[in-house]
Amino acid sequence: MEGDKTLATSASTKAVEEESLAALNMDEAILSQRRGIEEQIASEQQYLVSSTRELSELERDYQHHGEFSARIQELKLIYGCLRRTRADGNCFYRAFGFSVFEALRKNKAAYQAFRKSITEAKEYLVIIGYPTFTLEDFYENFIEELDKVCDGEGCPISQLEELFNDKGMSNYLVVFLRLITSSQLQKEQDFFINFIDGYSTVKEFCSQEIEPMDKESDHVQMNALTSATGVCMRVFCMERGQYSTVTFPSDGKPIIHLLYRPGHFDILYPSADATADSPTL
Amino acid sequence: MAGASLKRLMAEYKQLTLNPPEGIIAGPLDEDNFFEWEALIAGPEGTIFDGGVFPARLIFPTDYPLNPPKMKFTCDLFHPNIYPDGRVCISILHTPGDDPTGYESSSERWSPVQSVEKILLSVVSMLAEPNDESAANVDAAKCWREDKSRFLECAQRSVRKSLGIPDL
Repeated sequence: MEGDKTLATSASTKAVEEESLAALNMDEAILSQRRGIEEQIASEQQYLVSSTRELSELERDYQHHGEFSARIQELKLIYGCLRRTRADGNCFYRAFGFSVFEALRKNKAAYQAFRKSITEAKEYLVIIGYPTFTLEDFYENFIEELDKVCDGEGCPISQLEELFNDKGMSNYLVVFLRLITSSQLQKEQDFFINFIDGYSTVKEFCSQEIEPMDKESDHVQMNALTSATGVCMRVFCMERGQYSTVTFPSDGKPIIHLLYRPGHFDILYPSADATADSPTL
Repeated sequence: MAGASLKRLMAEYKQLTLNPPEGIIAGPLDEDNFFEWEALIAGPEGTIFDGGVFPARLIFPTDYPLNPPKMKFTCDLFHPNIYPDGRVCISILHTPGDDPTGYESSSERWSPVQSVEKILLSVVSMLAEPNDESAANVDAAKCWREDKSRFLECAQRSVRKSLGIPDL
């Protein structure tokens, strides 16, 4: 009797262990599949932020989608060239960061205002109880790089390209831009809660969709990051049937321009300045 | 990549050494390799694991803190949220979307502002309060739910074993 019980227990323990092991293997399999996809994207797109490219390059992306070629012609009327960003879920923040640094390095007043607003955004997170130790790590790193880019005459564009293509450095900058976005969303939560689906609080949305790396962005993120930083941004939205442009804030004069195609952001340069080394924006 | 991670891990180690949280000691096994740590966690006072000292390993990815470390107890620990092989399964060790046991969306997840200290404190509360909703060890979860006295016995065995006291 006693023996049977032990046997049964050990059999059920074994089944349980196998179940746990299966869950573990499933977990591993998902992670390894995700790593595989990341590696594939990284091998196709060796850059995080590319050099400037001709807009006609976009035609290659849409060889079999005739309706997009009309959109590209419309884009060419306004813009001269683009920089691509890697499609890793961080493209909005990376595109925003690169173009803001590029615009600010020759504009002392805007640089100082931006520096002040990101410091305030960080301080708000401290007030609402974010861990100072790790927060300061990202903040100090961001300020240090911003200062290096903007101090004096402003760094050469090659230095900026190098900074944003160094994976470690570039991702650290992305983390801080995500935190600024989160700060603004939480500060104005009564407003933003109206635009958030699937989460009951803005805080929950931020911890699931904003703060972790590789989470994609949309209108809410664009709105929050531009209003937190005071940066005026125009986005050219290219969709199958039509294009539209959105400016944040709508009455501002844009200093940066992004191209939005469903799920992805790249950097755009208005055509008048397209051939210059550093477009005057 | 490893530059930023190493800098951050060294800073966290310094912080943990200067202001160690109660009942936790943690640091790199070898100062030449900051990506592998050992932690000693004391069973929280007044709980079933009170008195035990449980060793664990933390393995950090090269892109830490963008991604969380993995944590594994190197001793026997019968607990609903610890896999039979010692791996710790709590929400803070996972980024959203990486969902082995279906945590609630409100549970605390990994993000780059979290830290080793935050993880270890979460592990201490996990020891104090097992969560049988997201079980890694189904047998332990069942036992915790249905047979508290057997669970207590197993926990006491883990405590004694962690102190090197032989079974009675």
